[in-house]
Amino acid sequence: MSTDGQVKILTARMEANRTDSHTIERYEATGGYTALRKGLLELGPEKVGAEVKASNIRGRGGANFPAGVKWGFLAAARPAYLVVNGDESEPGTFKDRQLLERDPHQLVEGVILTSFAVGVNHAFIYIRGEYPKPARRLQHAVDDAYQKGYIGKDILGSGFDLEITVHLGAGAYICGEESALLNSLEGRRGEPRLKPPFPAIEGLYAKPTIVNNVETISNVPWIINNGGLAYAGIGPEKSAGTRMLSLSGHVNNPGNYEIVMGMSWRDLIFDIGGGMAEGRELKAWIPGGSSAPWFVPAEHLDTPVTIDDVAQHGSMLGSGAVIVMDDSTDVIAAAHRIVRFYAHESCGQCTPCREGTTWLERIFNRILSGRGRPSDIDLLLDVSDGISPGLGWPPVMTTICPLGPSATAPVVSLMKYFRAEVEARIAREVAHG
Amino acid sequence: MKEVTLSPAELEAIRDWNEDSRRLAREVLGKYPDRRSAVMPLLYISMIENGYVTAAGMKSVGVLTGLTGAQVQSVASFYTMYKREALGDYLVSVCTSISCFLQGADDVLTAVEDESGVPDGETGEDGKFSVEHIECNGACAGAPVVLVNYEMIEGVTPDKARELVNWLRDGGPDVISTDEMQRLFGGQRSFDWGVEEPEGAFLPVPAFGPYGSAKEAE
Amino acid sequence: MADLVTITVDGVEMQGPAGEVLIKVAEDNGNYIPRFCWHSRMNPVGMCRMCLVEVEGPRGKMLVPSCTTRINDGMVVDTQSAVVKKAQEGVLEFLLINHPLDCPVCDKGGECPLQDHTVAYGPGESRFVEEKRHFQKPIPISDLVFLDRERCILCARCTRFSEEISGDPLIEFKGRGNQVQVLTFPDEPFNSYFSGNTVQICPVGALTARPYRFKARPWDLEAVESVSMVDSVGSKVSVQSSQNRVVRIDGVDSDATNHGWLSDKDRFVFEAIHSEDRLQRPLIKEGDEFREADWGEALDLVAEKLTGYPGDQVAGLGGANSTNEEAFIFGKFLRTIVVTPHIDAQLDDGLDPQFLVGLTPRAAINDLESAKTILLWAADLKEEYPVLYLRVRRAATELGATLIIVHPRRTGLDDVARHKVRYRPGTGPDVLRELVAGEGEYADIKAALTEGPVVTIVGRTGLGEDPRLAEAVAAFGRDFPDGKVLPLARRGNVIGALDMGLAPTLLPGRVSETAAHEKLEAEWGPLPEGLGRDATSILEGLCDGELKALLLLGTDPVRDHPEPMLATAGMEAADFVVAFDTFLTDSSRLADVVFPVEGFAEVEGTVTNVEGRVQKVNRLIPGPGQTRPVWSALDDLARRMGGDVGATSAEAISKEIATVAPAYHGVSWDELDWGEGREGLLLPLEEGEQRLEYIPVDGNLTSVKARFGLHLARVMYDDGVRVRKSPSLAALIPDAAAYLSAAEVETLGIEPGALVTVAGESGSITLPAVVDNTLGEGTVYVTANLSKTAELGAAVSVTVTPGGEA
Repeated sequence: MSTDGQVKILTARMEANRTDSHTIERYEATGGYTALRKGLLELGPEKVGAEVKASNIRGRGGANFPAGVKWGFLAAARPAYLVVNGDESEPGTFKDRQLLERDPHQLVEGVILTSFAVGVNHAFIYIRGEYPKPARRLQHAVDDAYQKGYIGKDILGSGFDLEITVHLGAGAYICGEESALLNSLEGRRGEPRLKPPFPAIEGLYAKPTIVNNVETISNVPWIINNGGLAYAGIGPEKSAGTRMLSLSGHVNNPGNYEIVMGMSWRDLIFDIGGGMAEGRELKAWIPGGSSAPWFVPAEHLDTPVTIDDVAQHGSMLGSGAVIVMDDSTDVIAAAHRIVRFYAHESCGQCTPCREGTTWLERIFNRILSGRGRPSDIDLLLDVSDGISPGLGWPPVMTTICPLGPSATAPVVSLMKYFRAEVEARIAREVAHG
Repeated sequence: MKEVTLSPAELEAIRDWNEDSRRLAREVLGKYPDRRSAVMPLLYISMIENGYVTAAGMKSVGVLTGLTGAQVQSVASFYTMYKREALGDYLVSVCTSISCFLQGADDVLTAVEDESGVPDGETGEDGKFSVEHIECNGACAGAPVVLVNYEMIEGVTPDKARELVNWLRDGGPDVISTDEMQRLFGGQRSFDWGVEEPEGAFLPVPAFGPYGSAKEAE
Repeated sequence: MADLVTITVDGVEMQGPAGEVLIKVAEDNGNYIPRFCWHSRMNPVGMCRMCLVEVEGPRGKMLVPSCTTRINDGMVVDTQSAVVKKAQEGVLEFLLINHPLDCPVCDKGGECPLQDHTVAYGPGESRFVEEKRHFQKPIPISDLVFLDRERCILCARCTRFSEEISGDPLIEFKGRGNQVQVLTFPDEPFNSYFSGNTVQICPVGALTARPYRFKARPWDLEAVESVSMVDSVGSKVSVQSSQNRVVRIDGVDSDATNHGWLSDKDRFVFEAIHSEDRLQRPLIKEGDEFREADWGEALDLVAEKLTGYPGDQVAGLGGANSTNEEAFIFGKFLRTIVVTPHIDAQLDDGLDPQFLVGLTPRAAINDLESAKTILLWAADLKEEYPVLYLRVRRAATELGATLIIVHPRRTGLDDVARHKVRYRPGTGPDVLRELVAGEGEYADIKAALTEGPVVTIVGRTGLGEDPRLAEAVAAFGRDFPDGKVLPLARRGNVIGALDMGLAPTLLPGRVSETAAHEKLEAEWGPLPEGLGRDATSILEGLCDGELKALLLLGTDPVRDHPEPMLATAGMEAADFVVAFDTFLTDSSRLADVVFPVEGFAEVEGTVTNVEGRVQKVNRLIPGPGQTRPVWSALDDLARRMGGDVGATSAEAISKEIATVAPAYHGVSWDELDWGEGREGLLLPLEEGEQRLEYIPVDGNLTSVKARFGLHLARVMYDDGVRVRKSPSLAALIPDAAAYLSAAEVETLGIEPGALVTVAGESGSITLPAVVDNTLGEGTVYVTANLSKTAELGAAVSVTVTPGGEA
């Protein structure tokens, strides 16, 4: 199975135009900024918003919340802001990078249309600091768009004004959490906020704010050009449209794939992904970024790749990052590596995450360096329980934000599916020690 | 957006900054409804000035944004990319998060440490290299990933990593170009990069032109 | 006032205002939920996660932090479920994995929430076998505060206090995740006037105060509630002693005044109580030297000398640093035993006494909670009334009040003020006229002042300012919608002293001398005729010989009078000077007889703050050596002069006050200690006869404009005796300088740091010039009451010339 013949929304231009899909010339020559004209001059803000709502598009960041519904929550007070979350930092995810490097104008046009629809006159695009090349491409695109009058005052004579500020992050995964991103944008530490209030009511500078992922907004021009219903008609109803999946790890064809959801994991990993290397078997995979609980062949290979099906099976499609592990993987080290990531990225505000994630990392350190104890298995699970009581899905949190529970996901998955390996590792070390 | 006029005290605070940086500072301050938001880009500009975030740099940023030194330090120390110690000419970063780990990134890091003589998290005495491991850099299909002054190379093997270190050491380029390095030392890419990128970095500060140190690659 | 709603906590119904945080409602109703980061006077942050409880929702029970959960009607809460208990154990285990086993050497032990919660809610053991986090311990982050980062549980109370409450965020989190620490910026220590509050609210021993470190264990301490007498705001304190030595002062939450906060001066000035230099025996001057004497000998000497003068050749100054009872007896002694009308508790450095006690409508501090607009035209609150500064700051930042500041220089509140007017000292009357007219650049301010309720805070911005200007501003302020005025004057019990009649135009109980003379005479017997002299006139009278003798009660005119040379001259010219004091000050040093008296924490009595609120101060320790209470000394002296002031005990005096002083009818110590008066009583309790109602007038003053206007103002740590005798605070007294704008420095043709001579009518001083660009043209700012600035005098017109000898 391949994705040939399937509708391509986000990657069509870049596939067809290798050398200049990021330039404004190519963008305009391939129908770019027609949606803008249609939206600003024909449809008006309410209709633009209605099309996006009708599209049923769900957020392409981590939370998968319906974008049109989210826009509807925006409080009436003005000024309001639109903030695009380009802080793609979930391990395994690299789709927004491709969108930014190869087709930034798609995002820019989407930002202008979205701002118009919800009544925002100043939009911010937050790009993680480790993406200087995408940020350069984006800034040039924004500059070119300003030059052409697509951004600025009285755009296309519509009476609509918009400023766009591109803002560079500086290396903090937690800033991908929308309220932490707002704090970061305000010039503060990127610490998540208490909710309520939600950003739609009190967000950037305490004003009503919409936060959306790069990929989500990049779909808006197509939706306006082709209609929300056309988008809603693609793929399963609750996982409508196309979405980018980032495939990495032990597969022969890693990369970003714009797919229609609904296929099975088997199809994704073995057909599109090209399967494992010669002589290797699939051991486990992470369906939606390193925060997600693991899937295993015995249980999940033939389940559908949709947002809701994955959720029902106890994980999440999240950012769409699929990380494949074959049987050469030391799953204990893999789990440790993920836990170490969260310990490093914890903002430090709340006790269970700040102390607990590092404690988990240290226990893994001991196990991996030959000093594990039999009691460590229960200890790992109990420390995890202190962060996420019940270790269920979706997680209950003792923490301010889901980062803490994310660190417990690999621990739970490891013990659920590979406990014997952990026991064996510890026993071996104890025997030798 | 507009360029902002600075008060005498604010001008005094960045008196030692070069003209480009001063202009950038004024531009950046005008990009946000609230001055405090400019803390992050201003810290990058101060890094361009001093090579890393210094106490004096933080103080200047504080004056421009109306924050105390402790508040600026609080923000600067939260983010990994604001380096608060002097760096070498080349910051070599190796991703060791899960996807790169699965493709042997630990061996690439070891190769870099070994070839450069600089352990992870440190700067060599000769001031040539700073070596660090980093978290997921968003290039997972091109794992393992190595960055030089934040310009990315995908699909780096341990052997190629050693070659890279030596290439940098034996008269590395003034401007680091991601495409050049990819050609010489890279392998599998996450996606088709398309056309070459004309800009690159010349400092271990992210080259986010026009706010960074992006320069035309020769 | 929000509507009350009903919630159920652990099966018990309770009520609270809609929207209040759950943890507070539960606590107010007897259900204590453990916490670290939540503080009732700061915004909740939900960081420590200790306060997690289960609340029933549509999808079952939800684990939520009770400090950030706001109640709504019908909420059902479980604080005792297995899930909650496991979460609590988890949080404590997490906090303890890096917390060092310092209890035996940690100040906080015995009053430590972490200890207490661990015993009550924690797991029995820790399972952490890794290496704990290490920092160098402890490090001084200022002259007063030490920080131990290993003990810190990162609750952010200290950093939030500094940003949110005191507005000087000099400490902040540094780093991320497990390596986060609280820290200052290099070379920018935690020099906040309020740093001691962070030590008090720190839930562990991470922050400790140098004056208290290792001094005592909480279970050794004895304590009484009292009121700080450092300034006239009347902050509530707990004074604590170990083995009869005061070792600590903590803030106590009073809703009416300080919300539990104190300035570092309030907090650490206790060190002076046990200074070696405390007066312990009576002193009699022989030649140029003092010799120690017995009380009997000294009292007899004074009685004899005083009896030898006609009453109206004797004068009395002071009482503003004494309790109401002491001040009352002082006044009674002067008026009925000495029979003199020359009495003043102020040193011509405050405001008109009738204005101060009789002003109406008078604002209470809590009027700031509902004020829409605040007009502040007074001293720099941060320097002189720091706890009031915190209350005004809160109004401007948390409560959305529009703050307008009029001052010759930058003040501590400028960063939260909507409008700031700066003016050259001496030109205040012109500024007021423009403000009243409300045109041009003043139009916005005038418009803001129409949004009521409006609270106007008035006082002298500096020692050289005409006190009638404050009155004129008050006249302006009381006309605004719901307009109320708060007048400010220095010294802990200045209002109380005036209430007790220690002013030429007043008699006890907020009544004017003229109106109440007859009635009081009926009680006390013959009173002196005619109005007496005020402080300056008293000093002048001593100089020219019309007055012969002077009694000083806890006052230091040589230091504090705006014309120190006049004060010195007067005291030196006097025939006979008697001082009642706790230290040998520059003034009591010039006396002929000095009586050592008991002071703060040694006396029981009442004091009255700027709102007119009377509160109780309490005795914790005996005074040193042969000190006696003031009232006892005066009672004895009266007897030896053939009279009787009827002072048998402080409480007995308080009962006489309640009878004789109209504004104090109904005040009793019982009420203040145990009844409705725990946070003081706002006086008068009832409308009394003869009560003075003073309507302020705009005296249509003229501006004074010379080449330079002198702004002579105080700072928190000055050369006052209590600061000097508290070693921790004495180290913080700044150097004297003459502050000028950069432009003026350039005009003078000098470099910053060079010496300049500032010369006024009474004298001149030479100081280094320091640049302060918040000063306008023609303004020079000099800090009052530093040892070098005494000879200048307070006249507002001065010259500034380069050079001179330091």
